[in-house]
Amino acid sequence: MTSTLKGITLKGSAELVADFFSFGINSILYQRGIYPPETFTRVTHYDMSLQLTTDPKLKTYLTNVVSQLKEWLFECSVQKFVLVITCLETNEVLERWQFDIECDKSAKEISAPREKSIKTIQDEIRSVIRQVTATVTFLPLLETPCAFDLLVYTDKDLMVPEKWEESGPQIIDQSEEVRLRSFTTSIHKVNSMVAYKRTDSA
Amino acid sequence: MDLEDDTTVLTTLKSFNSFISGSEPPQLLSEHSAGNTHLQSRFKRSMELLEAAEKVQSKNRYLQLDQEKKQMELSHKRARYELERAASDRARDLEHEVDRRQDLLGRIKKLEERETEEAKNLSEQVEGNRSLRKNLDGLNRNLEERDTRLNTANQTISSLKDEIRELKQKIQNQDSTVSAQTLENQELQEQLDLQRRKHQEVSLLCQSLQAAQTTCSEHIIKIKELERRLALQEQDFAIVKNIKSEVAKVPDLEKDLKRLREDNAFLRESRENCSLLKEEVEGLRRKLERMEKTKEELVNMELEKERLLDKLKAWENIGQSTGLNIRKPEDLSREVIQMQQIEISLKEQNYTLNSRVRSVEHSQSELRAELSQQRGKALEEQKKREAQDALVRRLQKRVLLLTKERDGMRAILESYDSELAPTEYSPQLGKRLREAEDVLQRTQSHNAEMEGQLTKAQEETGTLKLQLQTVQLELESLKKQQASASDGNTLATKEEVNILRQKIEDLEAERQRLEEQNNILEMRLERHNLQGDYDPVKTRVLHFKMNPTAVAKQQRHQDVDGLREEVARLRELVRSLQDGGAAVRLQDDAGAHAAGLGLSLPPSKEVLDLRKQMESSELRNQRLKEVFQRKIQEFRTVCYVLTGYQIDITTENQYRLTSVYGEHMDDSLLFKKGSNGSMQLMETEFSKTLGEMVALHLHHQKSMPAFLSAVTLDLFSRQTAI
Repeated sequence: MTSTLKGITLKGSAELVADFFSFGINSILYQRGIYPPETFTRVTHYDMSLQLTTDPKLKTYLTNVVSQLKEWLFECSVQKFVLVITCLETNEVLERWQFDIECDKSAKEISAPREKSIKTIQDEIRSVIRQVTATVTFLPLLETPCAFDLLVYTDKDLMVPEKWEESGPQIIDQSEEVRLRSFTTSIHKVNSMVAYKRTDSA
Repeated sequence: MDLEDDTTVLTTLKSFNSFISGSEPPQLLSEHSAGNTHLQSRFKRSMELLEAAEKVQSKNRYLQLDQEKKQMELSHKRARYELERAASDRARDLEHEVDRRQDLLGRIKKLEERETEEAKNLSEQVEGNRSLRKNLDGLNRNLEERDTRLNTANQTISSLKDEIRELKQKIQNQDSTVSAQTLENQELQEQLDLQRRKHQEVSLLCQSLQAAQTTCSEHIIKIKELERRLALQEQDFAIVKNIKSEVAKVPDLEKDLKRLREDNAFLRESRENCSLLKEEVEGLRRKLERMEKTKEELVNMELEKERLLDKLKAWENIGQSTGLNIRKPEDLSREVIQMQQIEISLKEQNYTLNSRVRSVEHSQSELRAELSQQRGKALEEQKKREAQDALVRRLQKRVLLLTKERDGMRAILESYDSELAPTEYSPQLGKRLREAEDVLQRTQSHNAEMEGQLTKAQEETGTLKLQLQTVQLELESLKKQQASASDGNTLATKEEVNILRQKIEDLEAERQRLEEQNNILEMRLERHNLQGDYDPVKTRVLHFKMNPTAVAKQQRHQDVDGLREEVARLRELVRSLQDGGAAVRLQDDAGAHAAGLGLSLPPSKEVLDLRKQMESSELRNQRLKEVFQRKIQEFRTVCYVLTGYQIDITTENQYRLTSVYGEHMDDSLLFKKGSNGSMQLMETEFSKTLGEMVALHLHHQKSMPAFLSAVTLDLFSRQTAI
């Protein structure tokens, strides 16, 4: 959609970032084995092959969250977007994938599109997703059945929509943090990092 | 070859000898013919033979050589022939090879041509492929677009279908609710009618109740009045009783009164005494306190006295220690006064000295200022002088130049005058003169300007130098002031400097500490940011209500609850199975849990059958036992009755027989059954009394029954006789 335009507008940037989150979360769920791999199907995006879920409930949930997130990205009121993985038996948080979003608020006033090629943005996104796939090598194995949750850090004065509620930050007790790559659309900058619970055996 | 050499040597010798013999034969023949002819002939013959042999040999050799030569020629020819053949073969091979080479070259060329053709084909095909791929990509993109459109359309269709379904469901729900509500409405109306009827009945009842209530209340009022009267009467009765009792108590009270009055009086006296005593006690206590205080004061006073004595001694000793003539404090005060006076005088001197010093310093500074001014002035004067000198020099130079110009002009004029006629060239000369004068004037003005600029520059430099020198003087004066001041205030400045240095060091240390703290805090902040910490004032964390974790937790709770229920049910089943219970209860339980447990039915049926079998067998056993016991009992009683002996088995193979006619209870016979089956009588007290019968029947007749019957008869006879 934005490939034919020459520059990046606020709306286009919000769409790009929301797309990245949608695909990124799918690939994290596939890599960490939260849902069985047979419920995923292969698609091509960003010039690489990614896994997308076919579970209808999960799909509707993700579309709801990502659409709301797109609105908030357009309003520049999102600060962080977090994927939290909890162990069902002990109710402990095992992993935390955090994406910090820095929004250039001057893009709201000035509506002129910014000069950045879609290809470079896609290359950056591709490298981030590849790095996410590579981090699986050093993350501890998730042996117990787990569930995930998506948290959004927004401005305090934002109106809470109907189906959303306030929650805690769900911080890991003793964690190791690793900073991953970031990408920027010249309006939104997304920094990625992963925090995982320290295993005492290591 | 040696032979040949020898033969040649011999031949040469022979020839020599023959020559010699030939040349001298006539002489020799003539002289020695008679004696040497035999030897010579022999020698000649041998020589001829040798020559002939040699010739033959040489011929042989010649023949041999010929033969060899021929053989060699033949072999040569053969070799040549073979060589020629080989050469021809080689030439043929060469021709073949050449032909082959040409063929191969032709083939190579053809292959190369083919290769080029193939390459061209390949490139064409690659281009075709590329074009095809582009087409394919375009088609793919179209397809993807169509797919996305289809997907979106499908999604919209599905969403619309969902909406339709939802709406239909809503409609259905609403219809159902409407119908339910109409039903409810009808029910409610019926209820309403019922309620109204009830209400009427109830209202009638109410009215009747109210009438009854009024009568009741009236009755109640009457009852209350009567009760009140009763109560009053009871009170009066009670009062009367009390008064009677009190009246009965009056004499006792009077006695008590008297006693109490006496006690009162006594107590009053004692109280007065008490108060007096208390006052005395207080007085004594106060005295005690005062005494204690005075004691303390005494002690303090004594301590002070000792201290004062020590002081006095010290003061007295001072006089001895200082060497002054001090015996009394007046002397000390005198001395002190003297010292103070000396001090005062010294202070006055100090002040005067200070004032003098200050005035001197002031005058010094003034003098210094004057000095600097004078120096400045001197420098100015110097500068002026130098400027004047420079001016003078310049003027002199100018004068020189002017004189030179004038001389030159004069020379030119004279030359012109000498050379030229008077009137012809005068205007030209005049013009030239004027031009020259203009030029001169211009140069002079230029010169003057330059000189003016020069003077300005020099003046500026002079002023700058003046300023520099004044500044230097001030610096020197300041340094001198510093030096002078430092002599008087070295300590203060040093202290200030030290204090300032310490302050600087402290501030630096603090700054470093604060920097480190800052770094640590920034690291912590970064770490917290990575961990996901946030500022609650500015940010809020939101999540979807129906998120997968919540759903999974609910599911888990439900699973856990279901599992717990199952576990409880299974435990009850197990307990019921273990208890056994009635078959009916089991069946009931089994039937009740059939739907939920399914698997448990067949085992419980088997168990039931087995249980039934077990019970039936047990019953059978029991019955058999009872029957056996009864029969045994019958048999034993019959034996006892018929034979007259009660046979008991005491231990294994030992039988005790007790006779019915026995005199004592423990008169019994013991028999033991041996290993071969024969019975033997054991020795008992009773059997000792029957020794005769034993001997007769057992030893003699060897018959147990006879013995036993004899014993019975004997006992019977004894009993009946007695």
